[in-house]
Amino acid sequence: MLPADRAQVPKILILATEACAYPGADNVGQIHAEYPANTYVVRVPAPVMFSEPFYLHCFEKGIAGIIVMSCGHECPYPGAYDTLATRISRVHELMGERGIQTNRLRLCAVCTVCSKAFLKEVHQMHELLTSTV
Amino acid sequence: MDKSQAQDPLREADNGATAHTLRIGVYVCHCGGNISDVVDVERVVQAASGLSNGVVTRHYPAMCSETGQNLIIDDISNEKLDRVVVAACSPSLHEHTFRAAVARAGKNAYLYEHVNIREQVSWCGKSDPDGATNKAIRLVGAGVAKARLLRPLAPISMDAKRHVTVVGGGVSGLRAARDLARIGLAVTLIERSASLGGHMAQWHLVYPTEDKARDLLRELVDEVIGDPNITVHTRAEVIEASGYVGNFLLRVEPEHITVETGAIVLATGFDLYQPQEGEFGYGQYPEVITLDQLERMLDPEGPTSGRLERNGRAVNNVCLIHCVGSRQIEGIHQPGPDGKLNEYCSRVCCTATLRAAGEIRRRFPRTNVFELYRDIRTYGRGHEEYYDEASRLGVLFCRYEADRPPVVSPAEPKKGPGLICAKHPPGRSGKLNLVPFSAEEPDDSALVVQVKDTLTFGEELEIPADLVVLVTGMVPREIDTLVDQLKLSRSADGFLQEVHPKLRPVELAVNGLFVAGTCQAPMDISESCAAGSAAAAKAAALLASGRIELDPFLAPVDLDVCRGEGKCVEACQYQKAVTLVEVERDGRKVRHAEVNSALCNGCGMCTAVCPTGAIQVEGWRLDQFDAMVDALVADYAETEVSHA
Ligand SMILES: Cc1cc2nc3c(=O)[nH]c(=O)nc-3n(C[C@H](O)[C@H](O)[C@H](O)COP(=O)(O)OP(=O)(O)OC[C@H]3O[C@@H](n4cnc5c(N)ncnc54)[C@H](O)[C@@H]3O)c2cc1C
Ligand code: SF4
Repeated sequence: MLPADRAQVPKILILATEACAYPGADNVGQIHAEYPANTYVVRVPAPVMFSEPFYLHCFEKGIAGIIVMSCGHECPYPGAYDTLATRISRVHELMGERGIQTNRLRLCAVCTVCSKAFLKEVHQMHELLTSTV
Repeated sequence: MDKSQAQDPLREADNGATAHTLRIGVYVCHCGGNISDVVDVERVVQAASGLSNGVVTRHYPAMCSETGQNLIIDDISNEKLDRVVVAACSPSLHEHTFRAAVARAGKNAYLYEHVNIREQVSWCGKSDPDGATNKAIRLVGAGVAKARLLRPLAPISMDAKRHVTVVGGGVSGLRAARDLARIGLAVTLIERSASLGGHMAQWHLVYPTEDKARDLLRELVDEVIGDPNITVHTRAEVIEASGYVGNFLLRVEPEHITVETGAIVLATGFDLYQPQEGEFGYGQYPEVITLDQLERMLDPEGPTSGRLERNGRAVNNVCLIHCVGSRQIEGIHQPGPDGKLNEYCSRVCCTATLRAAGEIRRRFPRTNVFELYRDIRTYGRGHEEYYDEASRLGVLFCRYEADRPPVVSPAEPKKGPGLICAKHPPGRSGKLNLVPFSAEEPDDSALVVQVKDTLTFGEELEIPADLVVLVTGMVPREIDTLVDQLKLSRSADGFLQEVHPKLRPVELAVNGLFVAGTCQAPMDISESCAAGSAAAAKAAALLASGRIELDPFLAPVDLDVCRGEGKCVEACQYQKAVTLVEVERDGRKVRHAEVNSALCNGCGMCTAVCPTGAIQVEGWRLDQFDAMVDALVADYAETEVSHA
């Protein structure tokens, strides 16, 4: 069986846009920069497709932190980024109501070569989760 | 086109299998050690074989090799696989390869799921092989979870016009039009101004060949005008656009014509940066001009017939100030009228300036030339040579810091010590004679430029100038009507934005739209032509057969579930991509949403707001994401590597 400490390493779900953040995450690997292994990058065309409950369900299921890595204002889909930003604020409110620490959900922009931004976000979230869990 | 195809993708029978009895093949690639040196691939395979549906699980040194691919193809037929999952490098490299292999085995190509365990696992987890192995196990688990829910998708095929419209008749648009016509497509070229050629028509000599710009252009313009496949409209503008890839409809004014076209190449070019009133004395002193004005002055066919003069007098001291209106920094530079800073480098101005400086020194050897730069960015082939040549010809360089820009002011009659006197003509060595000013030798230049020169460790120099040239760069052109009508994306700097800067550099997010030249980013003529040719090749490949296939990753509506509330219609940003229609169903009139697959871009804005989950982006359905998350948090205690 798995020792308790290993099983409880908090899991970070990273929703990475196909056009920007996912290639950005690839870029981090290409330059052989390291980051904690408890990070799972999932490729999405545009995270705007997820409704509020999706995020809440993730937390209920046991995901400790979520980083939505979008294209920011470079988003190839008009209007999608602003809608996404509004939605994430709404999820933050809902998290607050449920007593979930709101900084466990982060929205940021990561471009195809933004390896520094990617690493900063991952390390920040990892620190937050390992210091509070 | 046949819309029903998009809404009712062909359903494969899956031999009556349910999500839990599907036969899934899982392949874990070593990537010749790139993966297997860090990730314990055997453990990953072992974990995968423990998953339900993991019928065939293998690891192999190079899945992308022909033998690797044949492994999949053979298993599909021998083991009757329903789905395939490959864990290997990034999907950007080989997702397509493995989809094609699945299709070659007679299966639907979309019954394939790719898992990235190289870029996002082994390469970024070298010092934690156990952690990397566990991560790979969970990611493969998520891949299998998604694979269970994959549905076969049919690429959408429809008729397309073998006609391309090029908007903008600068060098990039001309190049694109000519190349398209040569391939055999019909082309309409729409130019806003009265003549073809764009900015290039104003330049005399151009780097890196010292060709006469107008000679080069004339050749291209003659070819375009003489080509029976190309229709040119000058003084014309697109004012309305509708339709979609393969079948756009453009209304062009003022001629009141309508163009039916299959694809559009945007080649609307750049605008010159207009300095603000008082910026380096611009608009204040008549001796302060911009680089394009200098280019005109040096042109024998220009306003001064090629004479370098200001206020009717020959110019003795020219001072060129680089990076005006480019590479602006918050807190240092004033934002423009739109409140924006131009943070980008305009790229062409360094070499264009060095070229002009060299030309001045060659043609007017008595004229002193000073270049005040932040960095010299002679990035292209044959560009650095202009810097060497300018240095050799005695151009004097000073380097300034962004936070200490040069100051241009009227020259005072009395000069203090430490000033440069550049009144003396250069000696035979080509070097300037720099001596401090003295009362006996006043310089009669109207202006003086003060600069803190970091090349001489911060010496404060005062340079006399009877001509100050602001090296102004490029700014995005105002094309709001096009942006609005065609739903073009612009990047933060205001230029048009491609789908992907590296992998899809001339395609815009809207299918069937391409971008060429400086409307995308600052480029020189060679790059603009290369972009024009690339856009032409892409557009031609798209329309070559007269039919086009669209990605099936769109948002069809599940009619059994849709209640016709129209939330999706409100959310969608693409005009008419989703509409409400009324139909007869079981003798009743019902409303439901309908997606036009040619207009849908698959962003999923609608998915999030649909109250019933009826509208989903194929290939990225929400139930698939839910299943992936479940798999990521599942209990793998038996197979995960633990730290003893
Ligand atoms: C001072 C200076 C010096 C330079 N020197 C050199 C050099 O020496 N060598 C070199 O290689 N490059 C040089 N360049 C760069 C060169 O000028 C550009 O690379 C080139 O002009 C870009 O061509 P283009 O077709 O992309 O854009 P443009 O030349 O701007 O052409 C765009 C065309 O589109 C038209 N248009 C715009 N909007 C619309 C619309 N809505 N509808 C219809 N038509 C529209 C415009 O009227 C214009 O004709 C220099 C640039 C500058 C600023
Ligand atoms: S190319 Fe233009 S903007 Fe870039 S460094 Fe040179 S002068 Fe400045």
